Amino acid sequence: MTVTFQLNGERCRFHEDPMTPLLDVLRREKFLTGAKAVCREGFCGACTVHVDGEPMMSCLKPVGLVSGCSVTTIEGLSSGDQALHPLQAAFEAADVVQCGMCFPGMVMSLSAFVRDNPEATRPQIKTAMAGNICRCTGYERIIDAVADYLAVQKAGSQAKEAAHV
Amino acid sequence: MDMQDGPERIFESAATVAEAVAARASGAAVLAGGTWTMRDPRRGVTLPERIVALSKIAELQSIEVFDDRISIGASVTHSLLAGAVSEIVGLEGLAAAATGAANPAIRRVATVGGNLCATEFAAADLVPALLALDAEVELALADGPRLLPLSEFLKARAALLKTALLTRVIVRRDVIASAHIRLPLRKAGDYPVAIVSVARSSDGTVRVAVGSVEPVARRWTALEAALGGKVATAEEAQALAEKTNDFIGRDGIETEGWYRREVLPALVRRAFAALRKGGAA
Repeated sequence: MTVTFQLNGERCRFHEDPMTPLLDVLRREKFLTGAKAVCREGFCGACTVHVDGEPMMSCLKPVGLVSGCSVTTIEGLSSGDQALHPLQAAFEAADVVQCGMCFPGMVMSLSAFVRDNPEATRPQIKTAMAGNICRCTGYERIIDAVADYLAVQKAGSQAKEAAHV
Repeated sequence: MDMQDGPERIFESAATVAEAVAARASGAAVLAGGTWTMRDPRRGVTLPERIVALSKIAELQSIEVFDDRISIGASVTHSLLAGAVSEIVGLEGLAAAATGAANPAIRRVATVGGNLCATEFAAADLVPALLALDAEVELALADGPRLLPLSEFLKARAALLKTALLTRVIVRRDVIASAHIRLPLRKAGDYPVAIVSVARSSDGTVRVAVGSVEPVARRWTALEAALGGKVATAEEAQALAEKTNDFIGRDGIETEGWYRREVLPALVRRAFAALRKGGAA
């Protein structure tokens, strides 16, 4: 069985076992090593990618189930010669970028979260991170940065609206 | 586990319920979101050689809300369920179960049917929530559909699922308030040590269900009988729970069996306190 899906905007085919975790296809076949294989049980979130725009654990996603889907990994969120995703830029500016083990997964979870929840409160940000574990316990400054990012976005959209009045 | 090893796996995407039932009857394992099955290798279990995926069957992905009941397709995810029932009076417990289970990325994928059909998954949140609501399940079999109470389904689950596909869950809307109290050791995605779900119907009936304490969730009939349809305060319910605690806790990674049993009266108190506030915990 051949599984065909979009991977970071390009067509991708996989010809082996459809029950192979998407994570292993990404890392072993496509050499996209931003998603990390840590717990392989859906608890830690280090393997989070977007499937059709929604953050999911690639360790528990059989590649057969992404047939026809669009998969975006941390490498596809912004490639090296493009501007960073605005949340990545905010993380860099706030100096909250952590080591590469948990952080790609956090960016994948939170980039979708800020897109869908522009009014999120601090407890809601924390709840959104419940599936992204950092064993170094680096959370609070990331939560601060997400809250600041949302506040800046909100101020920006309010300023735009005021300009149109 | 090398992805090149082993015989070629048969992976079929069913287009209809009938196709899925036929595949199941001939030995294929049913794959919904995959969050349980994909951990088979971690449990020392080999992944099934033949798989039938449900993801292309549109009719299993709908939630229908009627005046007297809601009908939930087996492939509805926890996050879709949470969105659909969070504003429905009486279903506060089900909304809490769908919102509180696991973590956001799992809730986007894990399905209602998977939660009810993973026979080894003692800590499933939706099972006690739906038991408290006295839900029914619809099964598809080769000779047609069959409707049976969730409690009956749970007793015969492994045998039934050899030939049947769980297609829908039906919840009557005669419940006026419900609550779902779970106790994880840490908030971040842990399996709950114990779960207490309660629901009060318009006729005054109170149902209590317990999950994660024994291998399979069940109604707490001794406590229900002791309550006798009275409107108990949280403290009264706790006292009755202490007297009627007939659970035998299972040992597990998170905690030992005695602890799961011991926390139940406190969770009953919290559940009844939430029930008196209209369900919100």
